Amino acid sequence: MVDQLISTLRAVVGRDAVLNEPEELIVYECDGLPQHKYPPRAVVFPRATEEVAAVVRALAALGVPFAPRGAGTGLSGGALARDRGVIIELARMRRLLEIDPENRLAVVETGLVNAQLSRAASRYGLHYVPDPSSQATCTIGGNLAENAGGIHCLKYGMTVDHVLAARVVLPDGSITDLGGEAEVGAFGYDLLGVFIGSEGTFGIATEATVRLAPIPPAVRTLLADFTEIDDASRAVSAIIAAGLVPAALEMVDGVTIRAVEQSVFAAGLPVDAEAALLVELDGLEAGLDDEAARAEAICRQYGARSVRRAADENERKRLWAARKGAFGAMGRISPDLMLQDAVVPRSRLLEVLAETYRIGAKYHLKVANVFHAGDGNLHPYICFDGRNPDEVKRVKEAGREMMETCVRAGGTITGEHGVGLDKMEYLPLIFSADDMDAMLRLRAAFDPQGICNPGKIIPTSRACGEARGARRPEPEAEAPERKDAETSSDTARRFAPPPQIKPGRPLHAGKTFDPEAARSRLASIVGDEHVRPVEGEGPRVEVAPARADEACEILRLAAAEQWAVVPAGAGTWLDAGNPLRRADVVIRTSRLARIIEHEPADLIATAEAGVTLGAFNAVLGDAGQWLPLDPPGDERVSLGGVVATGLAGAQSLGYGAPRNHVIGMRVATASGQIIKAGGRVVKNVAGYDLCKLFTGSFGTLGLALELTFKLRPRPSHEATVLIWAGDYRPLLATARAIIAARLLPVAAELLSPAMARALAPGSSHRGYALLVRFAGPEKTVAHQISQSQAMIDGAWCAGIEAITPDARLWRALAAAPLQVQTRLTYRAAVRPARLARLIDELESLHEGPANSRMWHAGAGDGRLRVIETAAEPLSAAGPRLARLRAVARQSGGALMLESAPRKLKEELDAWGGVGPLAALMGRVKLAFDPDGLFSPGRFTADV
Amino acid sequence: MNDNHGQLSSVLEREEDKLLACVHCGLCLEACPTYLHTGDENDSPRGRIYLMRAVEEKRLDVGAKTFERHINRCLGCRACEQACPAGVQYGQLLEAARADLLQAKARRKLPARLLHLALNHIWLSPARLRFAFASSRLARDTKLVRLLLGTRLLARLWPRLNFALALLDSSAPSLDNGAIHGEGRERLRGRAPASAPQRVCETPASESQRALIFKGCVMDGLFARVNRATQRVLEANGYAVAAPRSQVCCGALHAHAGDLEGARQLARRNIEAFADTAGAPIITNAGGCGAMLCAYDHLLAGDPGYAAQAQAFSARVRDISQQLAATGIRPGAKIGDVTITYDASCHLLYGQHASVEPLQMLKAIPDLKLVPLEGSERCCGGAGVYNLMETALSEKVLGEKLDHIKATGATVVATGNPGCHMQIAAGARLLAGMHGLIVCHPVELLDESYRRAGFYHRDA
Repeated sequence: MVDQLISTLRAVVGRDAVLNEPEELIVYECDGLPQHKYPPRAVVFPRATEEVAAVVRALAALGVPFAPRGAGTGLSGGALARDRGVIIELARMRRLLEIDPENRLAVVETGLVNAQLSRAASRYGLHYVPDPSSQATCTIGGNLAENAGGIHCLKYGMTVDHVLAARVVLPDGSITDLGGEAEVGAFGYDLLGVFIGSEGTFGIATEATVRLAPIPPAVRTLLADFTEIDDASRAVSAIIAAGLVPAALEMVDGVTIRAVEQSVFAAGLPVDAEAALLVELDGLEAGLDDEAARAEAICRQYGARSVRRAADENERKRLWAARKGAFGAMGRISPDLMLQDAVVPRSRLLEVLAETYRIGAKYHLKVANVFHAGDGNLHPYICFDGRNPDEVKRVKEAGREMMETCVRAGGTITGEHGVGLDKMEYLPLIFSADDMDAMLRLRAAFDPQGICNPGKIIPTSRACGEARGARRPEPEAEAPERKDAETSSDTARRFAPPPQIKPGRPLHAGKTFDPEAARSRLASIVGDEHVRPVEGEGPRVEVAPARADEACEILRLAAAEQWAVVPAGAGTWLDAGNPLRRADVVIRTSRLARIIEHEPADLIATAEAGVTLGAFNAVLGDAGQWLPLDPPGDERVSLGGVVATGLAGAQSLGYGAPRNHVIGMRVATASGQIIKAGGRVVKNVAGYDLCKLFTGSFGTLGLALELTFKLRPRPSHEATVLIWAGDYRPLLATARAIIAARLLPVAAELLSPAMARALAPGSSHRGYALLVRFAGPEKTVAHQISQSQAMIDGAWCAGIEAITPDARLWRALAAAPLQVQTRLTYRAAVRPARLARLIDELESLHEGPANSRMWHAGAGDGRLRVIETAAEPLSAAGPRLARLRAVARQSGGALMLESAPRKLKEELDAWGGVGPLAALMGRVKLAFDPDGLFSPGRFTADV
Repeated sequence: MNDNHGQLSSVLEREEDKLLACVHCGLCLEACPTYLHTGDENDSPRGRIYLMRAVEEKRLDVGAKTFERHINRCLGCRACEQACPAGVQYGQLLEAARADLLQAKARRKLPARLLHLALNHIWLSPARLRFAFASSRLARDTKLVRLLLGTRLLARLWPRLNFALALLDSSAPSLDNGAIHGEGRERLRGRAPASAPQRVCETPASESQRALIFKGCVMDGLFARVNRATQRVLEANGYAVAAPRSQVCCGALHAHAGDLEGARQLARRNIEAFADTAGAPIITNAGGCGAMLCAYDHLLAGDPGYAAQAQAFSARVRDISQQLAATGIRPGAKIGDVTITYDASCHLLYGQHASVEPLQMLKAIPDLKLVPLEGSERCCGGAGVYNLMETALSEKVLGEKLDHIKATGATVVATGNPGCHMQIAAGARLLAGMHGLIVCHPVELLDESYRRAGFYHRDA
């Protein structure tokens, strides 16, 4: 008998693409973590995005839940369909749609296997960086869902740092594109950033545009073995504290070494060692041996018995295969494994590691560890036999105790595997009810019906009469018969319905803002001297709380009085975006200016939002570290402002944008509650990554109070090549050639003549200029400077200068609009190879004298920023910008106004609209700010 | 011997530890040719092991349609074993599952019934088997088969039989049909079997070693020329070669079809046949046979009378390439200007773990134009008689292989197993229109190279 659901699915994808016989569904009852078993009602195998959408629409109409699945290698029970749902299996969508070596990106169907992508890209000397241990089998879609890490994310970041765009089927069956092709292509909420790592609960990604990176020209892989595991831990901290940034830094303990050495992945690890470190350094050949020698010396200093260098690529591959095969190899010593994925601050590794073994001994269980030591991402394996109920019970208790230990040490419950079903019960260890409530509201914005992979991540089973957060997942390894009986009733949903997302009351309907009354009420919170009236369009009051609780009280008052609030740091961006409909209270974070924590061995720091970038970096600099961001507005911008705008500066080519560095936040919401996002460890996939959502939200979702950043060691040397020419085209070509030659500049910025003159006033040269900056060890920098100088040939070159020290030059670039009488600033971003076309258009459209135009453009990332001075006529700006925006869009990018006179903004949307995403962004805004208190009117998605 | 495992699913139950070794990590998925084509986890090693475990745990009936379908759809190539970090012995689990299926007497289709009939009544009897192969050879060599194929009538009426005949036709020698240019070519096929351990040439080895050739049923029946080439090449490398007379089929077909008892019968006879010459390596030239002989230790582990002998036997088994590579391969002479590619037989690669050795054998031929074959490590879809049982999936797997071969531009494909040989050659003709493609055994090429080098004097 075939029910309506099955016949509907067959009608959509065809008979041979639906499995519905109970016997055939058995294998789909679990993923890579077979402790959790839920047989689905059916499995469908769509072949195209449109088919996925049609399947989802059909399921949404029937109210049947579903879960996406790739290779099913996940280790959190995420790819299971609870609630007798349908599994949407993407294994037949594995086409590689495009490789664009010039722009270094690839477009793939998400069923494509991770390793296949790198294999295809290797023809161009490129690879896809995230390399989870399952990369030989896991799919790009699964990587997106889990925000997969891998052994090389210490230096290069997680999946979210390497995905530019995704085509997504939302839970209502609509198809939408998140992100953009260009490096900073889409302005608006970073829905892509928060979608990645949402574990298949926000929709199904069917296509992804991912970044490809050059295969490092040179690699050194070291294997250091220790007779004491504590020594290995100390060596890890010492390597990081020494300012080395290994591409990978992995630890394998003795138990694991012996298991691996028995397997097909045996690589000659010393079987009598108690720990081995795998340290990989990559980059340019020049100077790399010095780095390797430093790492080796540190290992020896901390007691390494021997340090071996992989002699060739084969040996290196064998070593990594041994590391990646470790999980499976453990199958040799135990019938079942419980695998944890906690992350702790690196500085706490030693004690936490010891604790895992102690806990194992306490419960009479064998424990092994093989993990990403450089990230502090522990993977304790607890060996057991699932046929022994007592052992199963002890394993659970031991697992929980380990989690609690890690959380107590300041860590998180999952660094890369995801929460899924497996770690749901641990989520309340790190997030409060309010935090989880915010996440549930975000989920409801994507999935109002609650049918997209329900019953995962956030414990919500209030329907069962248990308090949220205290609920334990159902007993594992249930007999399937019982489960069928339990779930056969389709009408009785097991999960609480999602929260309703709808607008609150209209903002101060009919009420006028009384600044005097507001002043006195605010003064009662922060004191008289910290409240003052300010200039602006309409009356405004500015208030500066000194503590988080004051900020919350202000927000609660604002909510009660229906005042519109505008967060502000240095005040640079107060009038960003579209004209505010109203701005009653400006909350300045200037008094929230404490640096809360900086642990050099962890390479992280936490500070309040009002700390300026300059002050922050001054403190970090004492430990030889920094937050490598150079956003517009010089170093006087506040950290809150840097994150709220999320804008990248010239050196984002080498270091990334703010979204790549924020790992934790505390945010005051419109209801005056404080919610926590992220954490204080560099790898963290517990819950939704709200940091991504707040970063770049321009103060429309909440008020950031505290921010935690991932840092970098300050490079020991920096130098810049400055090249002059009468035309910008050869300069652009040169920049692209330098990048294509696999030199590794941290910035390659093209300057208009006026900009060049402003930055290098002393130079005897005139014309366009290209600044190429290199950073790193002295030898590496010197090599790159000479290499790039040697690449310049041709009569077009009017002059070359090598500038060192060059810090003043780059600071001046970031501060550029502050140096001149600016009237209009805007930025655009396109696929890098299309930048020339955008600049052509810009140069042809300008009416003012050629030598007065100020702009700079990132040749490596396709970013263009234009600063128009008061000298230029504003009347023509509207049509000119509209034209440029059209060109940017054609080139896969976008254009936004940074600052502009109100008159122009009324003519032209500051963001350029977000098209079909407006509705979704609107729901996200409502989820956090239902009354619309925060910066009303500013954002593109404002409703 | 059905006495000690009479009840249903007993063979799998006895393999419980092997089932439990699988940690469900999924690294095997991408190694599995059937999974790559269907995307259905039931068609993957991890999925099949999960089904086996469900049967073993009595959650799934051994006679269930799903179990039969997906266990039968496995090629048995064992590529997953290479990918498995936990060292799951998938091939043995598969045989156990098929043994249970056979016991359960699940409803079988006609081709499967015919297969088991043949395995029981022909393969277990050397005389009948010899007769069967002699008739096949006759049909092949009189071009009767080619005639039938040429009519294209069969292709429409009974494509499965048509493909079977194409396989038979493809076993005919092709090296002497113009593949290798050069003067003084002699027909390898027509040559009389080289006389026993007599020295045919000067050998570089200081002292002569003994080697015993395992002839194999298909090899002996349809590819005797390869056996002869193997013998000549061994002799040219200084071996004293013999082929015990009472040897029989290796039993691989039986084991893969779940007839473990049939396989055991044959195994015992082979152990007896090779027993008198303790210590001498047993040389195979068919990956399927070699892998099976290597597994006698497991097959007879439960037989107290034979377990120890089986272990000693399996330890002596080497592919011709492994044996030669271990002691150094004598270089031959150039064999002409052809482009050659090598396709690894799965059981040679995953069962006998001969990965580089066959290539080393080819590299002993000076200036050979050897181009790498993408996906050489993947199954061709032949898999014994799989191509006649699971025709649709087999054809898909084969199609991919042929595409890759086409992409190399090679005119000769060397492969070390008769099943692969016939599958690729028949597929090239029937599916890919590559009529000129020549398929041969690597040792045939080395043999030709030695002949040109004058190692064989005028022995014919």
